[in-house]
Amino acid sequence: MTKSYELARIIAGCKGGDAQCYSQIVDIYSSRCYGYFYRLTGNSDISDELLSELFVKLVEKIGSYKGGSFESWLFKIASNIFHDHLRSKQRRKKLIETQIIEFESETIGPKKSDGELTDKLQIQLARLDEDTRELIMLRFYSQLGFKEIAQMRSEPIGTTLAKTHRALKKLREFMEG
Amino acid sequence: MEERNQENLRELFEKFFDAEQAESCLDDIQKAEQILREHPAPEPDDTLIANIKAEIAMRLQAKRARHFRQVFYEVMGAAAAIIFIAAVSLQLFVEKDAPKPGEVVYASLIPAAIWDSDDITTADEDLAVFTAQIEQIEDEVITLQSSEKAGNGDSTLAELEMELMEINSDFWKG
Repeated sequence: MTKSYELARIIAGCKGGDAQCYSQIVDIYSSRCYGYFYRLTGNSDISDELLSELFVKLVEKIGSYKGGSFESWLFKIASNIFHDHLRSKQRRKKLIETQIIEFESETIGPKKSDGELTDKLQIQLARLDEDTRELIMLRFYSQLGFKEIAQMRSEPIGTTLAKTHRALKKLREFMEG
Repeated sequence: MEERNQENLRELFEKFFDAEQAESCLDDIQKAEQILREHPAPEPDDTLIANIKAEIAMRLQAKRARHFRQVFYEVMGAAAAIIFIAAVSLQLFVEKDAPKPGEVVYASLIPAAIWDSDDITTADEDLAVFTAQIEQIEDEVITLQSSEKAGNGDSTLAELEMELMEINSDFWKG
């Protein structure tokens, strides 16, 4: 893990418009952010797009980072990008609803096509609802504490703890079952 | 994903559950997270990372250019404002010293010879005659200007100017 003073130096460089510092940020966080997007979408092409969008947003919004947990700030943007993606997906889905109903009746569960790589975990994650899946992935990939996750989600820490516990227990049962 | 942030989960769970339940919750979470660690997500492609870095470099360049333009426009705006204020101030000062329309500046009409003359008595008489004539012409100019505003008289004004020049030259002929 990058030491906090080293990270602070890199972030200061980013604020000053140093391309090298942005490059370091990409190296540090791309793997975790990609994992977060991939586990939520199950699609490598979409994850590629969302990851690119995240770092472009980072360049645009770095001025609004006023200290505190950088991971929390970065994953908040990642979460917003994912929700924007979901919304646009919903709009597209409505547009071609009739064709999708036909298509979904043929295949139930996660599909393997167009850059979609399916593993056992991805299949079981797909059985969880979106909010639960996002909570697990946020906890795992952001490496944030429950207190910070609760703040990010604007809910009491007890609620976050209970939801995460239930979600992880369920996922474990699915994986072992 | 080996590193986790340092927080005392047991202590956290014990705030909401009894010791036995907290222990069970902790066990569930740790085992589930172990499953997640055993099934890592794929890594982003190197080409993707290179593209992202190139895109960032491009955006930074555009951002710098935008910032430079903004500073340039601000400086130009400030310079324009300073020039405008300076021009207005200058005009105000110049107008203050300038003669009002229709007002004849005597000193500029009085020939230099009067100023240079040593014969004070003669010069005084000449000056009195000359001033009287100028005052008469000044009255006529004012009358003409007011009638010009009403719509007549470029030629009359020209005639008057000719008359003034004639008086001026006659004065020096004697």
